[in-house]
Amino acid sequence: MRGMQIVLFQTEWRVELQSVATQRNFKKTYCKISLKMSSTLKGITLKGSAELVAEFFSFGINSILYQRGIYPPETFTRVTQYDMSLYLTTDAKLKNYLTNVVTQLREWLFDCTVQKLVLVITCLETNEVLERWQFDIECDKSAKQSSGPRDKSIKAIQEEIRSVIRQVTATVTFLPLLETACAFDLLIYTDKDLEVPEKWEESGPQTIADSEEVRLRTFTTTIHKVNSMVAYKRTDYL
Amino acid sequence: MDGMDDDTTVFRTLKSFKSFISQPETSQHVAETSMSKGDLQRQYIQRFELEGAAEKIHSKTNLLQMVQEKKQMELSHKRARIELEKAAHISARDFEREVDRNQDLLTRIKKMEEREAETEKVLNEQIEMNKTLKKNIESQNKKLDEKDSKIANANETLCASRDEIRELNHRIKNQEMQLAAQATENEGLQEQAQLQHKKYLEASQKYQSLQTSECLNTENELKIKELERRLALQEQDTVIVKNMRAELARVPDMERELKRLREENSYLRETKENSSLLKEETEGLRRKLERLEKIREDMVNLELEKEKLSTNLQAWENLSQTTGLNIRKPEDLSREIIQIQQREIDLKQQNSSVTSSARALEKARTQLQNELLQLRTKSLEEQKKREQQEALVRRLQKRVLLLTKERDGMRAILESYDNELAASEYSPQLTRRVREAEDMLQKAQAHSSEMEAQVSKAQEEAGSYKLQAQTAEMELEVLKKQASSAENSSSVVGEEVSSLRQKIEELETERGRLEEQKNVLEMRLERHNLQGDYDPVKTKVVHFRMNPTSLAKQERQDEAEKLREECQRLREHVRTLQAGGAVAAEEGAFNLPPSQEVLDLRRQMESAELKNQRLKEVFQKKIQEFRTVCYVLTGYQIDITTENQYRLTSVYAEHMEDSLLFKRLKSGIKRSCCFHGGDIHSCPAAGTEILAVFSLTVSLERWILGVWPLCGPQLLRPG
Repeated sequence: MRGMQIVLFQTEWRVELQSVATQRNFKKTYCKISLKMSSTLKGITLKGSAELVAEFFSFGINSILYQRGIYPPETFTRVTQYDMSLYLTTDAKLKNYLTNVVTQLREWLFDCTVQKLVLVITCLETNEVLERWQFDIECDKSAKQSSGPRDKSIKAIQEEIRSVIRQVTATVTFLPLLETACAFDLLIYTDKDLEVPEKWEESGPQTIADSEEVRLRTFTTTIHKVNSMVAYKRTDYL
Repeated sequence: MDGMDDDTTVFRTLKSFKSFISQPETSQHVAETSMSKGDLQRQYIQRFELEGAAEKIHSKTNLLQMVQEKKQMELSHKRARIELEKAAHISARDFEREVDRNQDLLTRIKKMEEREAETEKVLNEQIEMNKTLKKNIESQNKKLDEKDSKIANANETLCASRDEIRELNHRIKNQEMQLAAQATENEGLQEQAQLQHKKYLEASQKYQSLQTSECLNTENELKIKELERRLALQEQDTVIVKNMRAELARVPDMERELKRLREENSYLRETKENSSLLKEETEGLRRKLERLEKIREDMVNLELEKEKLSTNLQAWENLSQTTGLNIRKPEDLSREIIQIQQREIDLKQQNSSVTSSARALEKARTQLQNELLQLRTKSLEEQKKREQQEALVRRLQKRVLLLTKERDGMRAILESYDNELAASEYSPQLTRRVREAEDMLQKAQAHSSEMEAQVSKAQEEAGSYKLQAQTAEMELEVLKKQASSAENSSSVVGEEVSSLRQKIEELETERGRLEEQKNVLEMRLERHNLQGDYDPVKTKVVHFRMNPTSLAKQERQDEAEKLREECQRLREHVRTLQAGGAVAAEEGAFNLPPSQEVLDLRRQMESAELKNQRLKEVFQKKIQEFRTVCYVLTGYQIDITTENQYRLTSVYAEHMEDSLLFKRLKSGIKRSCCFHGGDIHSCPAAGTEILAVFSLTVSLERWILGVWPLCGPQLLRPG
């Protein structure tokens, strides 16, 4: 769906360019437009990249929440994305929260001011951080000046995203069980000069005292590069 | 047609003839009239001639006729031929037909012959058949004869058989007679059989009645046995009943005891609840204490840690004092390192600049030397050139001298010529020669002046070259001086360089060390980065204010607050209860809004209590029934006076107060039915009867059955 939006955005632009063409050459120009459309399918712009990455976070966060059992599994529904079945929450509050965060994140991704996104899982009883899912985002700020699309197909990017989410799913095998009631929080590391919007506030990094880190796969849209990793509290009996 | 043609020819001839006849008559007449008196002769001849002509005509006509006839003949002949040919044709055809017919006939004949042959064959066959048939007939006749003879024989036999039949008829009649007699006999026998059958029936009836009576007999026997058994059972029952009655006598006492025990029970239950509440409280308090202790331990540990850290800090500060550096924190250290690195870089740069300047100087020296060499070679060349020029000048001077001499010579010659020519008159020639000579002279003079100019030029050039050479030499000297001075300074520079090198080496080692440190620090930084640390100068961390964690925490806090309040209230309640304020305080304490769970639990408890109540009622009813039945049937009543104490009263006791009192011991052996000697003792306060206290783990029934008959009388003995 996001891909389509990008394409639409591109086509509008193209159509504007082509609107100079006379009525007589209408058919010809139409052909040209369609040709350009197919060619833009392969490239990616800053906006499209931000869109893609935000979408990845939306699905990724939902996946982690489902896999780690932060919310009961019956509040999730199955959807098909990236050619694989994923789980999306149906909890209204959570949904609202996620859309708020992802919308803001999309903006920041478009501005290239995001450095990291961290999903922190906290034990409610002891207020101890048990897991940190950290996604380092490297923005290519030069993409802000040059608006030309990059040479990487959406399909290839989605392939990479798919493998990242697969790995996230696979981490359940080695992460320690969350036995107590837990809640999660999303931290976003941004540039210092960023103005904190309303409803947002500054926070601490919420690090884990004695942690074990595991790097996960990386994917890149050539504009945004996302390194994933998970840190979890080391348990003595392991 | 031909006939017609013929007719026309005839008419024509006739006409011609008539015309001919008419003509001569007129002419004759004329002639007669004219020549009548002429000669008869001539007439005669004429007549003759006429007759001849007539005959000719006549023959001619005949001939014509003949020709015509001939034609007719030919025609007829033709006709005849045609007819003949026709006839021949027809005859040929007939002939062919005849031939065909002939052939047909021949074939017919052949066929007929074949047929004849066939018929002959058939005939022969018929003849043969005839013969065979004849033979057959003969044989048939023979057979007939034979059959006739047989028939005769048969007739004979027929007669014989008829006789036999007659005889047989006779016999049959006889046998019929016999048969009738036998039938009568049979009837008699049947009557006898019927009689026998009737007898048999009677016998079987009798047999059946006998069997039934036997069955009845056995049944009766069984009944008898059963009854006997029942009797035995009843006897046993009676024994049991007796015992039961004895037991039932104790029941009212037991009931009383039961009531008492129930009360006691309820009291104990309450106390138990209270105690459990207290226990919980103590448990809570103990936990609290443990927590506090833990916290205290933690505090001690923290203090220790703090001390350690403070010592560490001290060490750091000391370090700063000892080293004289302004190091108080790792950040300071890193800053120091950075400064050192920067200094190192500066020094390196200096070093490199110095070496580069040295190198530049050396390069300049070599260049200058090269230049010097070049200049030397140039000066040598110039000297050579100068020498050449000088040689040239000398040669030219010599030439000039020669030329002047020549000129003088020539002039002398000329003067001598002039002197001579003044005398002789060869002046024009001489003047010419003089002029020529003068021209030559002028030319030579011009040439010499040119040469002189060239020489002067060359000299000038040589002078300039010399000047150049001198300047070059001067420069060379200067350079040499410089080089010597540079050599002098290079030693100084070398020392500097070596010292710088040493410094560089030192710095290098330091740099390596620092790099390692840097790597380590970077690793640490990376690790910190992985753990979520960040550079607060560049980055800030933001999160949504209404995030799930904070919401959950808030909720939890609220809940905890609520629970704490509730706990407080409950504690107060407990305190009031302990103080004995009871009911009045209870109502005040429990007016906090009950949660759904509590309500549910309460409801469940109510239903459970209701159930319990019902069960109790039913049980009471039943037990009452049982007790009355027991009392009525056995005459004994069992009461539970207090815990572990049971009273047995009998209907048949002399006094209403007479009873047996039993007590169950805690150390009693289960399911044993013996008395413990030590346990039996009299208790005068309970009544006049002997009271037995023994272990009552055995069922009462069994005890009564098994033990009472043995021990009862003994126990009931007074004293």
